[in-house]
Amino acid sequence: MDLAFTPEEQAFRDEVRTWVQAHLPAQLSHKVHNALRLTREDMQSWAQILGRKGWLAYAWPAQFGGPGWNAVQKHLFEEECALAGAPRIVPFGPVMVAPVIMAFGSPEQQRRFLPGIASGDVWWSQGYSEPGSGSDLASLKTRAERVGDKYIVNGQKTWTTLGQYGDWIFCLVRTDSSGKPQTGISFLLIDMKSPGVSVRPIKLLDGECEVNEVWFDNVEVPAENLVGEENKGWNYAKFLLAHERTNIADVNRAKRELERLKRIAKAEGVWEDMRFRDEIAKLEVDVMALEMLVLRVLSAETSGKQSLDIAGLLKIRGSEIQQRYTELMMLAAGPFSLPFIEETMEAGWQGDHVGAPHCATLASTYFNMRKTTIYGGSNEVKRNIVAQTVLG
Amino acid sequence: MDFDFSDDQTQLRDAVRKWVDKAYNVDQRRRAVAAGGFSASAYQALAELGLCGLYVQYAYGGMNMGPVEGMVVMEELGRGMVLEPLAHTWISTAVLQAFAPEDMKFEWLPRLAAGEALLVLAHHEKGARYNLNTCQTTATPVGSAWHLSGAKSLVPAGDQAHGFLVPAKVNGQLALFLVPRSAGTVTSHAYQAQDGSRLSELQLTDASAHCISADGLAALQLAVDVGAACLCAEAVGLMEYTLAITVEYMNTRKQFGVNIASFQALRHRVADMKMQLELGRSMSYYASLKLHAPAEERSLAVSRAKYQMGCSTRYVGQQAVQLHGGIGVTDEYIVSHCFKRLTQMELSFGDSLHHLGAVSSHMQETAGVFA
Repeated sequence: MDLAFTPEEQAFRDEVRTWVQAHLPAQLSHKVHNALRLTREDMQSWAQILGRKGWLAYAWPAQFGGPGWNAVQKHLFEEECALAGAPRIVPFGPVMVAPVIMAFGSPEQQRRFLPGIASGDVWWSQGYSEPGSGSDLASLKTRAERVGDKYIVNGQKTWTTLGQYGDWIFCLVRTDSSGKPQTGISFLLIDMKSPGVSVRPIKLLDGECEVNEVWFDNVEVPAENLVGEENKGWNYAKFLLAHERTNIADVNRAKRELERLKRIAKAEGVWEDMRFRDEIAKLEVDVMALEMLVLRVLSAETSGKQSLDIAGLLKIRGSEIQQRYTELMMLAAGPFSLPFIEETMEAGWQGDHVGAPHCATLASTYFNMRKTTIYGGSNEVKRNIVAQTVLG
Repeated sequence: MDFDFSDDQTQLRDAVRKWVDKAYNVDQRRRAVAAGGFSASAYQALAELGLCGLYVQYAYGGMNMGPVEGMVVMEELGRGMVLEPLAHTWISTAVLQAFAPEDMKFEWLPRLAAGEALLVLAHHEKGARYNLNTCQTTATPVGSAWHLSGAKSLVPAGDQAHGFLVPAKVNGQLALFLVPRSAGTVTSHAYQAQDGSRLSELQLTDASAHCISADGLAALQLAVDVGAACLCAEAVGLMEYTLAITVEYMNTRKQFGVNIASFQALRHRVADMKMQLELGRSMSYYASLKLHAPAEERSLAVSRAKYQMGCSTRYVGQQAVQLHGGIGVTDEYIVSHCFKRLTQMELSFGDSLHHLGAVSSHMQETAGVFA
């Protein structure tokens, strides 16, 4: 047992750090460090910079063009990117659909789709949730009917994150209604420029349109875009869930944001208030305990010597911590969190602020982060899963 | 970065678990509590397993093992709620090895390692809470030795121990002393603690003593850091056991015609207990892996871990009782004993607020395990 990284791991970290410092545009890290709004171009330009280095596909095995890093290396890469203030990689392409295409897609699909994902040129969206199917995802109703060599898709997806930018969308669709809900679902790749696809942004509580409704009205999808077998889509979606990585805990971002919380607390004069500082201290211990939890999972994955039943805890704890630091930042600013003036949340705003400039986005970020315990399997669903492993 | 246990560590765990299962089951523990909370034969059995000398270097007759091995052993003793204060032997041996003059090491370490002598930390005083530097006991030089006078509280197995590690003030400065038990000048008054273990009040009246270190605060800080790290590991073992018996109960107890394990409101509490157990285990690893770090770093790491452990033990203990329902508050059923022991752990070697204060006042700009 050893807490220190090996010299090789340390050298790897240094290599990543040097490269990120040299290639991450300063205006991007400025936005990330200050929680300013990111545009599509911001997110995609970083993806493409990584793509040119071969690191957007950083979690992929070498046979599909990834660097073939082990779990610890992936973690170190994520940590260096987060601490440097890099935009988060939009996961739908490289993290979510690519592993499914690798595991279940045809060689033709792999040749056709993976390069665009790895380069960051093609923006993917996720079409899972529907208005009537949230936690009960298997009840989904969007229909895909096989007609000749096509599927005709009708229905509606929702909560499609950043779907307004999407080039392609991977969808769970119903291809059979006769049996159990889970057995009639297929995994379909749909070009969002197809006639009949319409995207309607949903304005959220922070004023931003981060998610969308996506409508399908007699959309024709070539049958060759079916991944794997018809009616096996639920298994492929579950496969993704089973391969959820430690990054879901987002502990690296939490470390960065904890540092920002301390800076804000000092600037706002609450650092010397013991009642407030103790709340930060509690969060600091929470973050360290989460980091140790993540490191234990990484170690077990790398050595293969321990089978741990703790991966299900990572999303629950990580999301709670994300909410807590945004909450404390807002509380640190106190009443100066109240103004909602959208132009002051944009990078480059030269005009007046009501409070200190860092106050402008704090409440909006707090409001926005309530999503983290809801999405990706609500924390209540996650607790059901943990309880299942403990209680049977 | 590696959190696997070596084969030797796993064998050590198995050996201790085997002994706990054989010699310290629920009925045996109950008898030990009824007999006063300290069993000389149980302590001797720990010595025969080599555990008393776990930290002791080969030169003094020990096993020369480190904090990870210590953690493994403590997890298993925690699981069995073993009453004998082995952790205090580790505190004593660690402090003597780090601070004592050579002749004192040769006099005490081999006997401590063999289990022939028991040396416990006697640092609590009334009104001091967890503040190590608040001390009314005084030391005066007498030739090459010292005389100590004062009162210490809450001394584990204080009526059984052969000697004590005692902090005392010399001209306003804290020093740490070894006080051998001797009739007349050292008197103890024993009683039981909430968890059934044995404690004593200690009265020193011109008691003969030897100075371990004139830098008493540094030596005492090491003592409580080792003690707190041991407690963290014990707590992990006990929380694991407590969760296991709760799960077993929930899968047996029927209400409304079904096992209570089927109720979602209860299942979510179990998920949260598992969370607290694993966060606690993670920080116990962290504390043990930092025990050899420079003093300031070590103490801060221990404070972080002990704060987490206080939160974890309280949650797991309280919820375990709640999930057992009425039987959870009976003396007959083991879970109430787990709860009391877990509660006592939070209050020992600094409670959660104490350690939160230490974390809070030492926060740096950066954060994280490697910051």
